[in-house]
Amino acid sequence: MSLPSYFLVDLPEGAPLTPQLVADACHTLRRNRELYLAHRTTSQLIGLLAELGRNWLQPDDPFRQRALQEGPAHTGFSRATLERGLDAFFGGLTESNLRRLLRQDLGDESVLDAFQPAPEPSRRVRALGPRLLVQVAAGNLPDPTLLSIILGLLVRSAQFVKCASEGSFLPRLFGHSLRALDPKLAACLELAVWPGGRHDLEDVLLREGDCVVVTGEDATVASVRARTPVTARFLGYGHRVSFGFIAAGVLHELSLETLADRAAADVTAWDQWGCLSPHLFYVQTGADQQFPSQFAAALAAALERWETRQPRGPLRPERAALIAARRDLYAVRAACGGTTRIWNSAGSTAWTVVYEEEPDFQLSCLDRFVYVKPVTSLARALQAAEPVRLHVSTVGLAAPAAQQATLAEELAAWGVRRICPLGQMQRPPLTWHHDGRPALGDLVTWIDWECEAPTGQTSAGPPSG
Amino acid sequence: MSNPAPAPAELRACAEDLLQALPEFARQTPDPAAGEWGDEAFNRRALELFALQFRFNPPYRQWCLARGTTPDQVRHWTQIPAVPTAAFAEFDFSCLAPEARTAVFHSSGTTRQRPSRHFHNADSLRLYEEVLWRGFRRALLPEEPFPDALDLLILLPPAASAPHSSLVHMCETIRRRMNRPESAFLGSVDASGGWWVDPAAVWARLEQCASLGRPALILATAWLLVRVLDHPGSHQRRLSLPPGSRLMETGGYKGRTREVPPEELRKQIEAHWGLPESAIFSEYGMCELSSQAYDHFHVPNAVRAADPGRAQSTVRVRVRRRFRFPPWVRWEVVDPETGAACAEGAVGLLRIWDLANVFSVLAVQTEDLAVRVQDGFELRGRAAGAAPRGCSLMALEPTDPSPVANVPRS
Repeated sequence: MSLPSYFLVDLPEGAPLTPQLVADACHTLRRNRELYLAHRTTSQLIGLLAELGRNWLQPDDPFRQRALQEGPAHTGFSRATLERGLDAFFGGLTESNLRRLLRQDLGDESVLDAFQPAPEPSRRVRALGPRLLVQVAAGNLPDPTLLSIILGLLVRSAQFVKCASEGSFLPRLFGHSLRALDPKLAACLELAVWPGGRHDLEDVLLREGDCVVVTGEDATVASVRARTPVTARFLGYGHRVSFGFIAAGVLHELSLETLADRAAADVTAWDQWGCLSPHLFYVQTGADQQFPSQFAAALAAALERWETRQPRGPLRPERAALIAARRDLYAVRAACGGTTRIWNSAGSTAWTVVYEEEPDFQLSCLDRFVYVKPVTSLARALQAAEPVRLHVSTVGLAAPAAQQATLAEELAAWGVRRICPLGQMQRPPLTWHHDGRPALGDLVTWIDWECEAPTGQTSAGPPSG
Repeated sequence: MSNPAPAPAELRACAEDLLQALPEFARQTPDPAAGEWGDEAFNRRALELFALQFRFNPPYRQWCLARGTTPDQVRHWTQIPAVPTAAFAEFDFSCLAPEARTAVFHSSGTTRQRPSRHFHNADSLRLYEEVLWRGFRRALLPEEPFPDALDLLILLPPAASAPHSSLVHMCETIRRRMNRPESAFLGSVDASGGWWVDPAAVWARLEQCASLGRPALILATAWLLVRVLDHPGSHQRRLSLPPGSRLMETGGYKGRTREVPPEELRKQIEAHWGLPESAIFSEYGMCELSSQAYDHFHVPNAVRAADPGRAQSTVRVRVRRRFRFPPWVRWEVVDPETGAACAEGAVGLLRIWDLANVFSVLAVQTEDLAVRVQDGFELRGRAAGAAPRGCSLMALEPTDPSPVANVPRS
């Protein structure tokens, strides 16, 4: 299957992109939106997106096949890792989930179609998406970019998505799959890629957008925010880190092997490259002082099992060197006394578990390299993680059912935005509050229509119709 | 003050033996890695030294035992376990008892990181000085006797103000052996501990060399060279340093200034100072080692041979650059994935066995990426951030432009 040249991202490498080209593309997008997208109904769009999701789950779908065949070379993820990631994502793209998302974020499924009654008497409300949504996407994994495109379609926005240099493969395939299903809808989407620092192109793009969504490193978010006109809505999703907390006593409800397998599922998903992937697991030392180190050993065994059925992608020498050098240092620590222990794959850098008693939060070098640290309590773990508090997204929690509510309150009060069961960290539902915000709700603008109350009434419902 | 405890007699004998065997490079070009320094002889010396270091260096012994390696099992120098450079920051990889250590060299790095430490005493410094001098002469100063007229300019702080820099100690050794005044050092250390050099003073000294027709020998770090060349008003300035002038450049940038690729830096130096590319030498060294590699060797009279009638700056001598160590050092590029030696042309981590590291550990695992090119290697960056820092900054914050202290080495 060869992809036709349809999006800017399809142009041969080295084809010159100019500010004029970007401006022209924005103009075309706005026009196409008026022609093909602005007047579609929510139900139509939901049906179409759900069909797209179903297509991607079909083993013989040409786009899925191509993603799995060529994806490893383009993305660095193994076929099995890609398959699992795509299944998790598109499995959630269903009609019922989309409807639930609309109700959750907008209160009403039809509020994007027409004015609807509001709780406030004598008022009707309507939600409108931005006419042109500009997205600057991160390249670490595809989910956030695909989800952003889906949300943009749902709110009837034309979209210009600037992909990361190394992250355009799957968004591009997704764009073409949309085109195969509904070419007119795909005409409201533009995908492009250019190297960082092309401010000449970006400045044109940022001037054109009614809403700008940026995902990436904090420095990227700050840079784009500074260049976005004040009249445009700006949504920035910066760098996030995640970790796991395993409470003492959970072994009464789960076996050590199950627990380790769930943790390994979180470490192996997207090879740990997501903001929701764990850098470390804090393990509570209860009556059993050995529990944390036993968990580390079990996690190592689980990672070895995952490696056989879902191998990590091959690494460039500099990334492998990072792991090798870091392993070496921990191996010296382990050899020269102290309580450090290290487990790792033999003859490769496929996975690494480091056990250290010193509780300070430690960032992983990723690619399935994870820390296990014992703590006496969740409070102690949060104290140790204080330096990254403002960057924390998700905590994967494994705790006895009776303790979960208390722990969740403690995590929420500290600043965690998402708490999920261990094993689900990289599988947020479609409806999740991205970094604590309603991702769909943040895109829309509300129009209030305050109706005149009928004579003799001080408060009444709006006219019907 | 009482005399420091002596180093173990066996190690002192080993150092003495090495000193006696050091080849006279200035008279040996090209130097043969044969005979005294052939594989067999190197292997014998390496295994002897390994056995001593296993005995006298407690953390190294633990490291070897953890890897299941003891001297009686090792048959070839490639089997001698290498210590990662990052571990020099945390453990005392030294055969010298604490009371025997009279000097310590630190690695570069920001003030937030703990530096690597390489401990020394009088014996190890004597060996270091002899070894660095031989290596330096072989690369930059092979003339015998070396040219008397060379004016020495060192763009670094003087030894007294940077006692923990192996690079400054190296330059100080070169200065003394060349019998040049202390004023050769043009740099200083500022209040925050950062290194500094006055670009105007450097330009003035270079202009003096040019006008007096005295060739200059310049020793500098790459980032301080960039500072000097970037100094306001420098862009228009053009000097023509006399033939025979040469420059040794070393060290990375680590965020101190804008990074300039080595080829670009050489072009700028040629354009501004009239030093041909062939007169610019890159040095590779680190505080954890005693020996240095250079990326090519000075050929005396090359200019005259090429074209005696023309000014040096107009003659192009083709330079094939690759780092080479002196023959008492062996190295390998290892595949980070498997730990096995890489094929020529493949990028891997540089591992070094330096026989002159008598009183510490001879086998050092660097975080430098390299490729083997014929009998040498080219550098391809670093496994950046391999040593984990406290969760402080890594990747979470934009690069911190705060001033940095310490030595831009390795």
